[in-house]
Amino acid sequence: MFQIISAIVLRRLLLAIPTLLLLSLVVFVVLRMLPVDPLAMLLPASATAADAAALRQQLGFDKPIPQQFLIWLWKAVNGNLGSSINFRQPVVQLMLAAVPATLELTLTGLLLALVISVPGGVLAFVLHQRRHEAAADLIVALMQSIPSFLWSLLLILAFGVFWPVLPFSGRVGDGVTLPDITGFALVDLLLVGRFEAWLSAVSHLLLPALALALGFAPLVIRVLRSSLIDAANEPYVEVARLRGLSETRILWRHMLKNASLPTITMIGVQFGFLFGGALLVEMIFGFPGVGNLMVQAVKGNDLPLIQGIALIFCVLMLVITVIVDVLYAVLNPRLRTL
Amino acid sequence: MLSISHLTLTARLSGQSVEVLRDVSLKLERGKVLGLVGESGAGKSMIGRVIAGHIPTGFEVTKGRIVFDDTDLLALNRKAWRRLLGRRIAFVPQEPLTALNPVLTIGQTFAEHLAHLGVPAAERRPLMLQQLDSVHLPNPTELVHRYPHELSGGQCQRVLIAMAFAANPALIVADEPTTALDVVSQANVLRLLAEQRRTRQTAMLLITHDLRLASHVCDDIAVLYAGEQVEYGQATEVLRRSRHPYTWALDHATPDVHGPQRQLPALAGQMPGVSTLGGISGCRFAARCRQSQAACTAQPPALAERASGHWVRCIYPREVGARTLTAAGEASATATSGWSAPRGDAVAPSLVELQDATLRYTARRGILGRRKVQNVAVNQLSFKVQPGEFVGIVGESGSGKSSVARLIVGAESLTSGRLLIEGQERVGAKALRLTREHVQMIFQDPHSALNPRRSVYRLLTQAYESDHMASKRHPRQERAHELLNDVGLPLDALMRFPSQLSGGQKQRVNIGRALCVMPRLVVADEIVSGLDVSVQAQVLNLLIELGRRHGIALVLISHDLSVVRYLCSRVVVMQHGNVVEQGNTEEVFANPQHPYTRLLLASVPPADPSIAWPPEIAVA
Amino acid sequence: MTATALTTPPAPRGERFPVTRATLRQLALQRRVWVGGGILLVILLLAVFAPWVAPHDPLEQDLLHMLTPPMWAAGGSGEFPLGTDGLGRCVLSRAIYGARVALTVAIEAALGSMLLGSTLALLGGYFGGLVDRAISYLVDLWMSFPPVVLSLILLVGLGTGVDKVILAVVLVDWTRFCRVIRADVLVIRRRDYVLAARLIGFTHLRTMLREVLPAVVPLMITLFSIEMGVAIIVEATLSFIGLSVPPEITTWGQMLADARNDMQSAAWVMLTPVLCIIVTVLGCNLFGDGVRVALDPRLRLRGE
Repeated sequence: MFQIISAIVLRRLLLAIPTLLLLSLVVFVVLRMLPVDPLAMLLPASATAADAAALRQQLGFDKPIPQQFLIWLWKAVNGNLGSSINFRQPVVQLMLAAVPATLELTLTGLLLALVISVPGGVLAFVLHQRRHEAAADLIVALMQSIPSFLWSLLLILAFGVFWPVLPFSGRVGDGVTLPDITGFALVDLLLVGRFEAWLSAVSHLLLPALALALGFAPLVIRVLRSSLIDAANEPYVEVARLRGLSETRILWRHMLKNASLPTITMIGVQFGFLFGGALLVEMIFGFPGVGNLMVQAVKGNDLPLIQGIALIFCVLMLVITVIVDVLYAVLNPRLRTL
Repeated sequence: MLSISHLTLTARLSGQSVEVLRDVSLKLERGKVLGLVGESGAGKSMIGRVIAGHIPTGFEVTKGRIVFDDTDLLALNRKAWRRLLGRRIAFVPQEPLTALNPVLTIGQTFAEHLAHLGVPAAERRPLMLQQLDSVHLPNPTELVHRYPHELSGGQCQRVLIAMAFAANPALIVADEPTTALDVVSQANVLRLLAEQRRTRQTAMLLITHDLRLASHVCDDIAVLYAGEQVEYGQATEVLRRSRHPYTWALDHATPDVHGPQRQLPALAGQMPGVSTLGGISGCRFAARCRQSQAACTAQPPALAERASGHWVRCIYPREVGARTLTAAGEASATATSGWSAPRGDAVAPSLVELQDATLRYTARRGILGRRKVQNVAVNQLSFKVQPGEFVGIVGESGSGKSSVARLIVGAESLTSGRLLIEGQERVGAKALRLTREHVQMIFQDPHSALNPRRSVYRLLTQAYESDHMASKRHPRQERAHELLNDVGLPLDALMRFPSQLSGGQKQRVNIGRALCVMPRLVVADEIVSGLDVSVQAQVLNLLIELGRRHGIALVLISHDLSVVRYLCSRVVVMQHGNVVEQGNTEEVFANPQHPYTRLLLASVPPADPSIAWPPEIAVA
Repeated sequence: MTATALTTPPAPRGERFPVTRATLRQLALQRRVWVGGGILLVILLLAVFAPWVAPHDPLEQDLLHMLTPPMWAAGGSGEFPLGTDGLGRCVLSRAIYGARVALTVAIEAALGSMLLGSTLALLGGYFGGLVDRAISYLVDLWMSFPPVVLSLILLVGLGTGVDKVILAVVLVDWTRFCRVIRADVLVIRRRDYVLAARLIGFTHLRTMLREVLPAVVPLMITLFSIEMGVAIIVEATLSFIGLSVPPEITTWGQMLADARNDMQSAAWVMLTPVLCIIVTVLGCNLFGDGVRVALDPRLRLRGE
């Protein structure tokens, strides 16, 4: 078992290197196609052409693109991703502060999504079997038409404006400072024992995570439902019935286990969706994560920051893929005998 | 012990009530075997489902009773019925490999079953191991940790049998338990079932399409046709002295592996489907019956006892020994006719020749996909087909016979060796297109062989679409009519689509399409495997007729020896990619030299019920 | 020949295109097809006839009437049926004009992704081997990016404008088409009738077009419909951030961004574009769903 897991991880890592390289290159090239000169924003209005040229040389924009890329690459491998034009801080530093926040948000969102969608998917399946599915179908279709960012706005209207019970801005209340141990607010605050601040952090996390979860849950419900329908048509289910097993037992012990495989695969494939949703959710809720950073970077044409964040997203997606692959291999006995 | 009386199952289809099962009455005693024999769609599996209480929605038992060990099954509630299943009534399914949950080990599935039976936790493992041992599975302690995909079909079936017998049930229902297995496993499974039954005196209901198999294994047989029970009695009686015209036709439409050759009397038409049953008044077999009279269509005949213990549902049952039928097929059946499969022109240059042909597949296994496994599908095969000759290639799945077919046609490229068509070597991708007028193929699965979006007209003359000159030589419409005639389809079939055709009709279209370009050789890959016996006979006779009329040669790929014997003058026997024996069909079948050939021949249930079968085959 | 002659079973009159007709019949049975199609039709009509239907010019600012409530609330008037936003612009008119951008992007982007994705899927699935591996690798590569992030980056490089947005969506979403259709093509490719066509002498091109393509068309239609919904959401996302179109063009996303400032006092200014997006996307999803269920016998309610 361990051998197989390490083999999978190794294979993925080997594939990852050319993938990361290629993607970084694509992003690099795309960004250099800008119709707008990024330097224009950095220069004061009275700057002369000579000043512009000097700045360009200083930032390295005068060299040919392939050379720029290699320089960037070399620096990146050494841990230096450049400096943000707008924030005037090293990109790496900005990201180290922001990534844990995004991870915390995304994982909580995923957890909430599962809590909603696993019972939801099973319910949708049971209703399908009993031919009462019209209403459930409509609800799922409706949910699927509402992306995370709309959910954010709706949730703010509902719980922030009309019925103000939850905060909808920032990560913790005003005046609360976060200890910097792991970067995960929920973990850190517990570790230092500041319970009230912990509650504040949770309440700030709730709406954004819920918005993410509600945007993602319909996807999981659909795939779980159709996997269960597929499993229900398999011969071994009929044989289990002929052995006298009850429908409930068949559902939980047999079908669900088999249906979880395509569901997990789908979650892995659609994880990018979750990250994308996090982007806007962070922006709307003012959550200090990587997504928020990205939006600001894009609006400000902050090329080094965009490049760095793009890289980080690639790495995150890669990690997710590896985890999903390993999980799938663990759960699916057919892959274990190679 | 199990008694079914006047069971009638009605379905509501498009507003009509159709009696899917009508007036079925059976009795099964302790320790006996009853065979339910019928072609697909006859309703035999449906009876099994009714016994299990798994009646599909829209179906309803409108008449009759089922009494099992003094319990009226139909009066039971779902919970009580469920308690019976697995304990007193056990099932052995048809496809063993997919009948077990792939994510659970054998041990886990078995333990769950035993828990359901009420076996206390401490006793489960020893009982499990004991049961697995009793079905002759090697190394039970290690086996329980394996997953279903790691076992073969035969082994899975044995596990299922072990589970079925674990509770010492009073009744076992086996629905085509050997159909999906290879030849060796078939015989072993049947013997295993007999062995398990004997010690526990379990009764068995065996559902099968093979009348001859049933006559060897069962004590009594009930023959089903279109949901009705047409004959019922002791096994040897039903086979040897069949009184219903359908039973007689069923037996005679199966070609024999041994004994004199005869022309197969083919029943015209096919068994009425469920949707048409409502419109039939009177006997459901009357439309195909050669001796039907006016009285037959007036009222459905009742089941009457014609001889002691032998029941027939027919107004004019066959008298044993009398010649009430006048069809030519019947007459020649009792005479050793001069029937023989088409021989070819041995002197002329061969049409197709494979010389030392080898086909190897490379599969990637191992952790990083680095380890390459070579799979030899065909190993140094040399093989010739003469013009006009019908040759058969027999073997089981995995023997390489389908690969040979694909090699001949050009769908696969040889790894080594040569392929000669009309003396000229064919190499590479061009082989496919160049062989167009010489070699064509008829495919096995009618479902995937015909494009569902093409009409029969466009399917038959599909070749015209890639050759615009052809229309000038021979108008498309005309050719379509000719082909229809050749394959025996009516004129109105032209505008129909595959979804509106029966299995036999689809195969005819399949054949017609291949004939359109007038090939000199046709390769037929298992084309009658999925067909009912009566329809199979029609298609076989059609092929012979076409061979005579157009002088085409045929290579038939099949696992069914009786079909090959009927159709082919030469036979090639394959195992694991190698040719183990080849030669004149009659000689090879009468005097098999290779042990594998002998094994194949021994696994066919003989036509004479008095011969002991299945034979002793060493457990693999 | 008597033994081989076939007695014709009583058969329905041969219909032309029974597969298509059966599908159409199934489609007509689905309520969601009617509802979804209806919604889309209404929005299409509104968008096309916007200049005649909308009561005001969407850019016209009436600074005397900022944040007036909708006409059924206190203080509202019939002049502005859905009220006005923070700059005095008529919310209803803006919503109707917003539909134009939404539908334009939806239809063109979906069309583009469908063409690009399906072509590559067909080529890869049909030919297999190196071609397939290359295309699959490309798809995998593309999909290792969160789609929104990728479209943001593309827009930074491409600039603003409706056509750039459409291009960005096509370049990101073709992968979804490609993956799903390729799976289907692989299944069909293995069917015997494809080999039969080759044996009869069809070229690869003819086989692809005549035998394989017609079988994937229904799936393409389903995906097209769903892709329309996705494109609308992406466009709204981008214009919410402020990247998609210049301010002279009204989009729903822009309306949302503007409305955020006035959320506390004037909820309807935000709710209107939210509902517009939800309803339109729902229409696309329902329609696509209906097509999908019409095609897949297992998903239909039994007995239909």
